[in-house]
Amino acid sequence: MALAATMVLASVLGTANAYAEDKPVALIVSQGGLGDQSYNDLAYTGFERALKDTGIEGKPVESKEVVSQATEILRRASDADFGLIVDLEYAHGEPMLEVAKDYPDTKYVILNQVREGANIASVLFQEQEGSYLAGTLAALVTTDTSIKGINPKPVIGVIGGTKSAGIDKFIAGFIQGAKAANPDVMVKVAYSNTFGDPAVGLQMAKAMIEEGADVIYHVAGGTGMGVIQAAKEAGVYAIGVDTDQDGIAPGNVLTSMVKHTDIAVEKVMKDYAADKFPGGQTISLGLKENGVGLSEMKYTKELIPAPILEKVETAKQDILSGKVKVWNVVDQGYPDFMK
Amino acid sequence: MSAVASSARAAPGIGWRDIALAIAPLVLALIVAAVVLGIAGHNPLEVYWLLLKESFGGTKRVAATVAASTPLILTGLATAVAFRTGVFNVGVEGSLLVGGLAAAFVGFTYVDLPAALLLPLALGAAVVAGTLWMLVPAVLKARLDVDEVVTTLMLNFIAVSFTAWLVNGPLLAPGSANSATPMVVEAARLPKLMPPSTLNAGFLIAVALLVLYWLWGRGTALGLETRLAGLNPRFAIASGINVPMLIVKMMLLSGAIGGLAGGIQALGTVNRFVVGFSPGYGFTGIAVALLGRGSAIGIFLAALLFGALATSGATIQLFSDVPIEIVNILQGTVMIFAVARFSWLLKNRRGGK
Repeated sequence: MALAATMVLASVLGTANAYAEDKPVALIVSQGGLGDQSYNDLAYTGFERALKDTGIEGKPVESKEVVSQATEILRRASDADFGLIVDLEYAHGEPMLEVAKDYPDTKYVILNQVREGANIASVLFQEQEGSYLAGTLAALVTTDTSIKGINPKPVIGVIGGTKSAGIDKFIAGFIQGAKAANPDVMVKVAYSNTFGDPAVGLQMAKAMIEEGADVIYHVAGGTGMGVIQAAKEAGVYAIGVDTDQDGIAPGNVLTSMVKHTDIAVEKVMKDYAADKFPGGQTISLGLKENGVGLSEMKYTKELIPAPILEKVETAKQDILSGKVKVWNVVDQGYPDFMK
Repeated sequence: MSAVASSARAAPGIGWRDIALAIAPLVLALIVAAVVLGIAGHNPLEVYWLLLKESFGGTKRVAATVAASTPLILTGLATAVAFRTGVFNVGVEGSLLVGGLAAAFVGFTYVDLPAALLLPLALGAAVVAGTLWMLVPAVLKARLDVDEVVTTLMLNFIAVSFTAWLVNGPLLAPGSANSATPMVVEAARLPKLMPPSTLNAGFLIAVALLVLYWLWGRGTALGLETRLAGLNPRFAIASGINVPMLIVKMMLLSGAIGGLAGGIQALGTVNRFVVGFSPGYGFTGIAVALLGRGSAIGIFLAALLFGALATSGATIQLFSDVPIEIVNILQGTVMIFAVARFSWLLKNRRGGK
């Protein structure tokens, strides 16, 4: 009886004193681990910034068995009274659904996919907006023969990893941006049907280059490494995706459409700290939130005439001001120009 | 020390030297890792205590550890079965991958079948795939004496690329941007033993196989033949044993168990096949077989050790600043000291020819 009373008292005091934001944050690092100089490292910088700015405690968790131990790790962190669990591993979508149900007081974040649940926040990136700028840049570059390696033909290309709405979201934005900059530009579209085969990417890009394409955007993961290789061999340009890939073939990667995972992680953690956690919602990060954008073009900035860069900047401002609406295939279905 | 000796005297059969030799790799590894931890500014005893708590402190943690050990029991057993015959099969990883993918494929394709049919069918597909994967190196070894270390190791890389290609293309879940198959249906999943832990009926299958292995090694003609062939192939041939046929049989059995390990992982834990499906269970299985000295109980304990390191290594990061690398060093050091017996095995193998 006395014990029960103490427990009730403790729980009352607990709710009165301990705000959700006092509980620590766990960051579950995806396959590849920290030190990948890519997705995980980028997200980790956002995690560290948020910890520093909010004063919350937090721990990153890495495991070679991150895929097979999905629910075990999520449950352990939930049991250990972590208040927020930010999960970078894509394969944790389904396991998170299962675990989140059992821990209604714990908050979860998943990236690049939508998972339903009152205590789950999903983060999506408006990749079509960044792709629009890539398309604008590509269309302007492809007709400017003063740039090294550019032929007079107004032909550019894009290679997707698979024919799906998630990939066509990028491609539609790219085409829209290209057509807006130059209605006469021809955009060749192809799908590699694999995300992991650079040889296929190399072949497809070579075929496009033979048909006159001199800027090729890839949305094809590892297959895209072949696209970049083909651009390097032919002395033309590739456009990278997801992370800043400009350094893979300096001078031959025109730019990269970067997804700022760090901004995403930082934002949800700060919302959590401010007691504004967007549970049950899908956060959409676009140009405005600096969630997507073009790379800084470290190796190519000098090659491109200033008027072109200015026009790309204008296009960006038009999107930010709402003057231009970029088509989102996932939300809106296919636009006429892709049917 | 005297307590160990006296208990050993009370139970003849397992001498204290065997026990000491078996745990020596662990003790040495703990000492080496303690030095590393100390240099990195951590208190080794605190870290070890935390590891112990995170692997065996409470039923949930024990369940997690046992769940993580399940694939290692099977890959350890698969490796030991081949070692016994003197075949150094390092291709269990490949069998595990193709087995896992085969089981997942059945599990998300034949969705209308009842569980009583679908589950055995999916596990059966895993076994068949794992077995077939070993067919070529088995025949090459038995007929042409092609070094199985090379063929099976190379086949692992092929399995990694082959399965990755399949889940990136033909078997990719519709609409998924990730390299993964669709989830297997509920009817194809192995029942959980202690929900919500991922510990599942696969563990019982693994233990049952270990018991069979123990009985088989002790009481059957094939068990004796493999032992003879492993110890001295020339003597075995002279005794009228068809050694090449024996090698083929045991390599296929090794592949079958490896495939089953993948199937259990696909149907019990991951519920699909996805890139990153195996963190190297097949390779850890080699260390398990060596550390366990090929005995059933040894394999079980070694698998438990590596399973414990895998679970606690991940979760201690929630409670300390010990990075995963330290746990990897600990695991790697145990492996090195376990594999130190490898030279002995190789000597045996070459000497036999």
